[in-house]
This record gives sequence, structure tokens and C-alpha cells, in this order.
Amino acid sequence: MRRLLLIIPFVAALAPRDAAAAPCTDLPNPVYVQAGDTQTNLLKRLGRALRDNTSNPMSLIFLPSGSCTNIDAIYSRVPITANMQFVPSMAEDPAWTPSSPTIACTPPAGGVVPDIANSALFNSACTSSPPPATVAMHQGPVQAYVMAVPKASSQKAITFEEAYFVFGFGMAGMVAPWTDETNMFIRTITKSTLLAWAANITVPGDMWKGVRRDASSMVVSDLMTSPNPESAIGILGVEVYDGLRDKLSVLAYRGKGQYAAYFPDSSFESRDKRNVRDGHYTVWSPTIWMETLDANGQPVSARAHYIINLLTGKTATPEPQFPGNQTMIDLIAAVGLVPDCAMGVNRKFEGGPLELYKPAESCVCSYESRVDQTSCATCPAGTCSNGGVCRAGFCEVQ
Amino acid sequence: MRLVTIFATLSLVFAAACGDDNNQTPKDAPPPVDSTVATPDADCFDITNVAAPTHDQIINACTTATKIYKTEKPPLLNPDGSLPPLPQ
Repeated sequence: MRRLLLIIPFVAALAPRDAAAAPCTDLPNPVYVQAGDTQTNLLKRLGRALRDNTSNPMSLIFLPSGSCTNIDAIYSRVPITANMQFVPSMAEDPAWTPSSPTIACTPPAGGVVPDIANSALFNSACTSSPPPATVAMHQGPVQAYVMAVPKASSQKAITFEEAYFVFGFGMAGMVAPWTDETNMFIRTITKSTLLAWAANITVPGDMWKGVRRDASSMVVSDLMTSPNPESAIGILGVEVYDGLRDKLSVLAYRGKGQYAAYFPDSSFESRDKRNVRDGHYTVWSPTIWMETLDANGQPVSARAHYIINLLTGKTATPEPQFPGNQTMIDLIAAVGLVPDCAMGVNRKFEGGPLELYKPAESCVCSYESRVDQTSCATCPAGTCSNGGVCRAGFCEVQ
Repeated sequence: MRLVTIFATLSLVFAAACGDDNNQTPKDAPPPVDSTVATPDADCFDITNVAAPTHDQIINACTTATKIYKTEKPPLLNPDGSLPPLPQ
């Protein structure tokens, strides 16, 4: 009962307020987004910033769903008919915070094809079909995926080999303490969290043992209420875990051929995602953001294109003027994602080998200044003496 | 008497410095299970000046990040360290 009381606020914060949902078309400058549920924390923060973006205000209206479902929605133009979510503007609710619930709205009659679709992993992990010529794909922030356990668990790490037996064999795998398949919480087959882990531990998504859950919030709830926390284990996007560090623990992961296990961050407590950025934590995917193009190859929705430019680190015109002078790096870093410009490694397909990566315009210093201490030199414009480039007040390497 | 004391002390020092010939731990084995280390270890690749390190070098590059070592092997792992096929 006590556990149940503890998770009620968490579940309530995730669920949109649904009473008397108004039409989504009542909102100013709507942009419809169908995204992975691991992206919810980012979309809530970005949605709030965009509502109050004085240079280009708009309403980000989103539906969390599985990555593979989202890809199909924009490839095949499947309209959304379910209620969607948005966040209030400052004027509508000054007390709203990212931990507050979203508000539900009803899509237009007949549904609405998303202006933006998101896959939280390489599209090729969902479908071998190339995108239609009318769909443009853009690589956004990187998201790590984690194995999480209840706070009461004593477990600290899991290896590639252990994960193969735990989720590929279940109880028969005999990897203590994870031998109770009813206490292993996984995701359904269209979800990026499952497919990213599947590619990394070489257990196809449809062969996983465990209890399949449709939403990350259900996995969180399962872990928090497990009567046997020592044997409980679940898979989550790091964005979800980072918002719940007081309730769950992340396991360090030792990938195939790796000597030691590592957390996504440089330590259990830190939030720097250093091991994701330098390749020591191997379970991560780029988020893919898709928009529809017209017959001339131009974006159909200027507003959707604006949001995609923001998410993918490209120049967005007009320059956003978010409340409190927030930047996109602030929003991305705050939810545990890594902007592409802060990555030092890259890969070409899900679970594929890593190679060194140098983004065209690095933001490593800016990113680190948000999540940790940075050793980068600060600079007024044009005064970097180390051959670097002064950007956003820091001497970046390029 | 003083000479005996010095001899006994030196014997103990040398004995403590010697390895155990019967130790089953391989010489390149990592530290024990769940030990955490916050400094670069010797068993890593320095890729600072490597233009195009391999995947294996990247994931085992020297780092000051927390490391957790697990030495126990899953019971069903093949003797050569390979994985058996998944059950159908």
C-alpha cells in the first residue's frame, strides 16, 4: 500500500488531464507530433518553451507511441485519432512545471497525420523499407537506454553475456538473481527501448522473455512495486530513468568485448553522459525526426521544419526567444539526452560498431557546462587563443 | 641478536613480496567482482593519438570513469566463451 501511494504522484504526472478535452485546433499555431514515449520529457519542456517563444510562438501537440508505429504513421500517412497532449503557456498556467501533467485535446475530425514523427532509434531497426521521397529524416539528440532495478536491489552491473541469457532464456538462463520472468519488465515489439537493447544483446525483440509493457511508466511502476526487488529488472530510456533517480537505480553495462561495465554517466551519481559521448556505454541510439515534403522537396509545414531545426541543432529562423533565455542545449541536457554536437562517437546502424565522430560545430563545452563542470576556456567573441572557436561563451575545439 | 632480527625482518618482507604460485587468477585478470576504480587502469587502450581506433579500442579506451568488473560467468556459457543459440 505504501509503495502504491509512492507511485501515484508519478503516474499522475505522466497522465494528461483528460476531463472535457478541448479541440486541438483551438490552440494557436498547432504542430502535431507523434513521438516515442521516451521523448515525453523533452516534448513537455520544448512545448512549454515554444508556447512562450516570443519570436515564433506555436503549440506542440504530441502523442506518445512506439517508434515503429510512428515511422509507419508518417511513411503511410496514418492519421492520429486518439486524444493528444499539450502543455499550457505561461499565461494559461504560470505554475506549470515539467513534472506537472499535460493537458489532453481532441484531434480534428477524421484524425490528423503527424507533421513530425519521431523514432527513438535508427529507422532500419523497425523497417527495411526506405522512406518515401516525401519524407525527410533528420538525426537529433542521442538517447541511451538502460537496465534499471529497484532502489532496494543490491545489483550494480550486468554484462552482455548475462543480458543474453536473462532476456533470451529467462529462468532457464540461470543468471542469478534475474531468474523470475514475471519480475523482468520489458517493452512491446514496436518500442525503441526494446529494439535498441535487442540489437545490442543480440536477442531479437520477439524472442525476449519477461513481461511486455506498452508504456515506460508501466515498467517504472512495476519496478517500484515489485515484491522481490532483488530479482526485478526493467528496460528504460535514460531520459525516463534520469527523471526518477530517487526511485530506481541504473545498472552499469559491459558490452560485448568490453573489459569493464560502465554507467551512461562517468559515475553512478553524475549526469554528464560522458560514457555515452566517448563510447564506453554502448547502448544508445540517435533520435530520428521526420517531416513531410512537398513535390518540390520542400517541407510542407514551416512550423514543423522550425521545430526539427531546433531539435537537430540546425539554424532556426527566427532565432528562438525562450523564457529565461533557455537554449535548446538547456532543454536537451535537462532531460538526459545528448545533442549530436556533443558526441564524440557515432554509429551507422542499431547496435553497430562505434567510430570516432567530430561534429561540424562542437558544443561539448556548452553541454558540459550544463551537466557538469567544464574545463573549457571561456571567451568573449573571437578571443580563443588555443585555436578553438568561440561559441556561446566557450572555446570549442571546432 | 640484532643480526637475527634484521634477517627475520628481511625474510618477511621478501615473503610478502612474492607471488603465490598456486594462485588460480590469470595474470591479466581484472580486479574482483564489483570493485570500482576511479582512475585509468593499465588494461586499456590509449587512443589519444590514434586517428581511427577500432570499436574494441574505443569501448576499452583509458578513462577515469567508474568501472565495475564482473568475473563470474553465466552457467550456460560455452567453454570457449561463445554463446549457445537461443531456445526456440
